[in-house]
Amino acid sequence: MTFVRLTLFGVVLALAPSLAKAQGPAAGAIAGRVVAAADSGAITPVPAAVASVLGSAFESITDTDGRFVLSGLVAGPQTVRVRIPGYRTVERQVVVAAGDTVSIEIRLEPDAQRLAPVLTVARSPDAEIFATRPNVSTITLGAAAMAGVPSAGEPDVIRVAQLLPGVVARNDYNTGLNVHGGEADQNLILLDGYPLYNPFHLGGLFSTFMDATVGGIELMMGAFPARYGGRLSSVLDVQSAEETRPGVHVSADISALGTTGRAAGAFDRGRGSWSIAGRRTYADALASVFTSNIFPYHFRDLHAHASYTLPGNTRLTVTAYEGKDVLDANLAEFASDSGSKAGSGEWAFDWGNRLLGASIARDLGPDVRLPLVGLRLGERTTVEQRVSLSSFSTLLDLGDGAFSQRSRISDVTLSGSVVARGTSHDRSIGYELATQRVRYASGSTQTGTTDYDLRQRPASAALWIDDLWRVSPKWIVQGGLRGEALRARRWMALSPRLSVKYFLKPDLALTAATARVTQSQHSLAGDGPLRYFEVWIASDSIIPVATAWHWIAGAEKRLGNTGTVRAEGFYKRYERVLDVNKSEDPQLHGDEFLPIRGSSYGVDVLARLQPVTGPGGWLAYTYGVSARWDDSTRWSPGHDRRHNLNVVTTWRFTKYRLGARLGYATGTPYNAIVGEIARRTYDPSTDNWGTGNPNRNVESLSGARNGARFPASKRLDVNASREFRIRGARVAPYVSVLNTFNSKNVFVYLYRYSRNPPTRRAYSQFPILPSVGVHVEF
Amino acid sequence: MWGCTLSSRRALAFCSLLATLAACEIEEVAIPQTKGPVALHAVLSATAPTQVLLLERTRTGAVDIVAPPFELQDPFGGGEGIAEAYASVTLTTPNGTTLVAREDLSPGGAGTGVYRFSLPGQSLERNARYQLSVTTTKGERLTAETTVPGGAAADVAEAREFNRATDSLLVEWPTAPGARSYLVRIESPFGPRVFFTRGASVRLSGELRNPDVSTLPHVFFPGFPQAITVSAVDSNFYDWFRTHNDEVSGTGLINRVQGGLGVFGSLVRLKFQNLAVVAPQPEREAGVFLRVSGPDEALPAPYSKLELYIESRAARSDQADAVSGRYSRIMRLGDVGCPVCGLLGSVKNGHVELMLLKDWFASDTTEILSGDFRGDTIVGRYRGRAGIARFLRQR
Repeated sequence: MTFVRLTLFGVVLALAPSLAKAQGPAAGAIAGRVVAAADSGAITPVPAAVASVLGSAFESITDTDGRFVLSGLVAGPQTVRVRIPGYRTVERQVVVAAGDTVSIEIRLEPDAQRLAPVLTVARSPDAEIFATRPNVSTITLGAAAMAGVPSAGEPDVIRVAQLLPGVVARNDYNTGLNVHGGEADQNLILLDGYPLYNPFHLGGLFSTFMDATVGGIELMMGAFPARYGGRLSSVLDVQSAEETRPGVHVSADISALGTTGRAAGAFDRGRGSWSIAGRRTYADALASVFTSNIFPYHFRDLHAHASYTLPGNTRLTVTAYEGKDVLDANLAEFASDSGSKAGSGEWAFDWGNRLLGASIARDLGPDVRLPLVGLRLGERTTVEQRVSLSSFSTLLDLGDGAFSQRSRISDVTLSGSVVARGTSHDRSIGYELATQRVRYASGSTQTGTTDYDLRQRPASAALWIDDLWRVSPKWIVQGGLRGEALRARRWMALSPRLSVKYFLKPDLALTAATARVTQSQHSLAGDGPLRYFEVWIASDSIIPVATAWHWIAGAEKRLGNTGTVRAEGFYKRYERVLDVNKSEDPQLHGDEFLPIRGSSYGVDVLARLQPVTGPGGWLAYTYGVSARWDDSTRWSPGHDRRHNLNVVTTWRFTKYRLGARLGYATGTPYNAIVGEIARRTYDPSTDNWGTGNPNRNVESLSGARNGARFPASKRLDVNASREFRIRGARVAPYVSVLNTFNSKNVFVYLYRYSRNPPTRRAYSQFPILPSVGVHVEF
Repeated sequence: MWGCTLSSRRALAFCSLLATLAACEIEEVAIPQTKGPVALHAVLSATAPTQVLLLERTRTGAVDIVAPPFELQDPFGGGEGIAEAYASVTLTTPNGTTLVAREDLSPGGAGTGVYRFSLPGQSLERNARYQLSVTTTKGERLTAETTVPGGAAADVAEAREFNRATDSLLVEWPTAPGARSYLVRIESPFGPRVFFTRGASVRLSGELRNPDVSTLPHVFFPGFPQAITVSAVDSNFYDWFRTHNDEVSGTGLINRVQGGLGVFGSLVRLKFQNLAVVAPQPEREAGVFLRVSGPDEALPAPYSKLELYIESRAARSDQADAVSGRYSRIMRLGDVGCPVCGLLGSVKNGHVELMLLKDWFASDTTEILSGDFRGDTIVGRYRGRAGIARFLRQR
């Protein structure tokens, strides 16, 4: 009953403002979007631009999606001016109709020469965020900032996120994020605000996000606002790029790994835009051309995004994504030098995400009041409803059903919010209702046996409020409260969130934040060096909800309009975190995880320079200490890294773009192997230990958990690209070299104790890895 | 290597292979020897004439371990393991009687580390606790206990023919009080198919494949005798054999032996079947072939009869079909081993390669016959002996 009541309460709360559009004088409005072209060619929103109506006091600042609304305007011709440093100021004539909203889109052109005249009246996006939000442990990156980072093949959003302070990359083969000492399943990965359950390809080597489709990212590494929940460590929100040019525009990224194609355009005089992109790797196809050996793996992605602004300033957006890894092999078809492969069986090993999300957002204008009570909500009120279906599934089938293992999580989330922005308060209230179908099963259709078949249908509800309060020119406070309930466990909790910023000077501020966070979905992927994919199961009557507290304090100094230096200390205390039980009994439910406790603390330093042209980049350093413990043992988790330094630089010239990344990181812990044991088998048909068929296996014996550490690793990556114009097409070939000095960074150690003397073999992370490709845009 | 856990590991290993495509071995260094515990392998079986346990040292780099052909009577022989000799091993029965194990030591050293209790399986008390104690010559003391499940033991195998192409086999067994799980094991030339189940029956199709072997071969091979056993096992046996230590982390095993490492479990064999696996032989290369002598057969080989089946057709036109079957051997005075043994091989464009197995396991070949089909006759040569061999199709 509690759940039902919460649900109804949330729906009513979220819908109420939309029923209460206030009556006002006949006036019109302009809803606009400000965009610019990134280096990749993708059209990206420009946040923090100042949009104003000439000859009036009407002024608005674009949000993170580049959108602004100027309402209450006198009907008739008006001139809209958009200004932001680094771009030419644009003025656009618009005819405002009484009672209607005119949609416009303004595309900015870079112009560093025009910086000076507007420097005093407008700020860069970072500067704007610095001035208006506490923004504790939060970093935003646009597509342009990510484009110059060296990569294997096309740029990868999550690879870029791994270079930010507070984030630890376990090794080169793993795109899992370990944020402020948290495990890799503690990150809420969002695509346009919709959850994506497994953002990896190829066992973590690549992320699921195609560069051409990414407009920007926002990474919240702790004490995130109350609208976000469900994960203990971080929120990574990846925003789709939107095309503003009318017509159809096509781009392609071609590399040795695969090809990404994107088509996009705007329509209906800029009211709508669409994009569709696809990627497929083709190592399997290439291998079949040159050899009879079969490379049985590929992955593919398909991403579509569309938006449309209806009359009345109602905006619809839809995002769809499907990605799949396919590792299917008929072992009988493999080439063989001797003997026959006939009789060998087939592998089917597939995994992938599906996501469909839609939202409708309406700007209710400047004078919205709650029904009945007549309370004015704010100067500008927006109501939004969202719905998403997101699923991730894995299937392993060996030998046509001799053994199969599958996992699937299907999530349906309905959420909504009302945001009322005012002079001193930005108040928000929202809800989130979610239900999942979880299945994790293993068995054999050929023997009719089931090892386990875990089915769950958790349902959760959350209600949150948030208030961004500009107390005075020196103080900004953001407070929130998130109430959460989980039906399967009859669990409810209140999670407070608080962030504070105090300006010592206009360009120097102290910040602090605290938050309680919870997590009711957990991955069985474990703590190993490779992260193949997530296997999600949910908290229920047996599996508890994980909880943690974040505390963060720091200082940030702005360096002009494009630079910043920030230092933050963090402490995270896990009241309960779930450790994957490697010895769990498949015939029992409830022993999949072992509840443990833990803590993480450290310091992040970020120095960042983001000019429109010339050299830019960032320096990120993190010192971190993490520990986990149960009643008898204390250990460092596998991602615990003391020092992590990344220096990323890009140089953008008229035709050339150069990039480099230097990384240095101290080693992470691992289990040192101290011996081996022969696993001898008992044969009940002969009542003997072993028959020689098969020969015995030998298994490793570990010393203390994570009792040793890998040596420090270092890496220098570089890339360069040049742009050509060929018959109207923009062609930009590039070359990247990862680990330029071929540093011997250790990936894992393998031991041999069956010989005298025993030995330890070291296997490398990325060796020197050159790659070439070309970006083509029409 | 048992059941579902193994298959998950194999999937993991396959993924690891992808990662190691780019990972290179960058160094190999000698490291110090370590000090390892004693490993105990002990199972009380309700059908065994005597109860056997193995005692060895875990591997710590103190000696070079090699992998010679397995010898049942001497599992640690030839440098395959580090047997723990002269230990004091006792078993306390539920009624308090203490039995002392005898080590299978022979003058040549065979049987070292193999300890045996003179306790027939039928004497084991069901749902009762047995306690094991081991004291090594260095003073290390290992203790463990097991509770033998209930259920009627299947002492004798039921024999039946199983046509792989047409039959499926329903194997049912009575539930056993005190059983933690049931172990199903099907002997097969590339390694047994082994899994645990909570149910009381399994249905096995002729096309069953073995996920415990990397190439996913069939479980049933025409021409082979294949045993199926179902055993009720205790929790020690179940937990030890369902868990594993992976190569990188070295963790995962559930060990309930105090003072050492290993298992002291118990089982009751509930079902025991011996299948004579057959299949139709419509192909030109399949059938029964008898040896025919010729003037160019320099030294008569002891192989008198071949029974061949096309085990699987090739998946690609440039590859060979797989062959399975059996061969008969003329036993002479002093010969040991099987008079009828398994064979595996391939055939492509009339050329046949047959591996004559020492027994019924693919891992141990005793002779190879390479030949060609000439009408109804296989004409070929052995790899290990001179002269021409001819086998004439009988049916």
